[in-house]
Amino acid sequence: MAGVENTGEAGATGGQEGPEASDGAYECNICLDQARDAVVSMCGHLFCWPCLHTWLETRRNNQVCPVCKAAISRDKVIPLYGRNSSNKDPRNQLPPRPPGQRTEPENQGTTFGGVNFGDTNFHMSFGIGAFPLGFFASTLNFGGERLNPHAGLQPGQQFHADDQMLSKLFLGLGIFCVIWILLA
Amino acid sequence: MRRLQKELLNLTTDPPPGVTVDPEEIGDNLSEWTVSVAGPASSLYEGETFRLNFRFSQKYPFDSPEVVFMRPNIPVHPHIYSNGHICLSILTDDWSPALSVASVCLSITSMLSSCKDKKRPPDDAFYVKTCNKNPKKTRWWYHDDTV
Ligand SMILES: [Zn+2]
Ligand SMILES: [Zn+2]
Repeated sequence: MAGVENTGEAGATGGQEGPEASDGAYECNICLDQARDAVVSMCGHLFCWPCLHTWLETRRNNQVCPVCKAAISRDKVIPLYGRNSSNKDPRNQLPPRPPGQRTEPENQGTTFGGVNFGDTNFHMSFGIGAFPLGFFASTLNFGGERLNPHAGLQPGQQFHADDQMLSKLFLGLGIFCVIWILLA
Repeated sequence: MRRLQKELLNLTTDPPPGVTVDPEEIGDNLSEWTVSVAGPASSLYEGETFRLNFRFSQKYPFDSPEVVFMRPNIPVHPHIYSNGHICLSILTDDWSPALSVASVCLSITSMLSSCKDKKRPPDDAFYVKTCNKNPKKTRWWYHDDTV
């Protein structure tokens, strides 16, 4: 029976070796390490972008795939983005990877821009109101004051609420004390 | 030189047939190796053993290694000069960073295997007298690779 268990274990370790061996499938063909900032050529060969870039710079007028000698160029490699790879565009830090995907970070930009837009709208309406209507400057200033405190009011309101909370708390404490004294 | 470390590990644990490397013989900085290559079975070189000297520059693997046969046993072959220089295109023009010590050894082994007539290159005497010590400095005019 022990023999059977042993073979089972041997099979299990064999199975573990499988994935280990297949790890080599994601090694860069140049540095033999796991490919970082990976790119894949049209012929399917995997490289770190820094490694391939160095090679392309070394052989500027005869750019071929190091593995299969197929024609290769910076425009014809595809960057690979794994699930856990950083979303930072490595092309910004490293020798630029082929262009084409640089549009991506714009999404974050627009959400920020949206918020800013609201703010500028506020200031804009204030400014436009103040200039053409000089006579009503004072009234508009009131409007402005009304607007500005409006933005600043929320914290104030919160303080207010806090005050109310506190007074309620004190009131409750006082009543409690009175009742306690009465009961005692 | 992480890549050379990896190559050395691969070469000691899983060498191509006939290729042996003694890590003891290799200095700490890995910039110069001695690799033994056995004459391939059922070739004109069967039973012989040759030693290759590899020198790696800082730019390796983007720059090809400098590879020569070491004295005293330099194979008699139409592409191998009596000073140990080898006329093999992957060592210069056709070098690629995806090649390795192991693949260079394999190319040399297959070069030995396919040899049908043990003789020196026709220009051996002249070349050996005039060449640079570094075979990479030679502008090789590559013979057809079938010999
Ligand atoms: Zn790499
Ligand atoms: Zn390829």
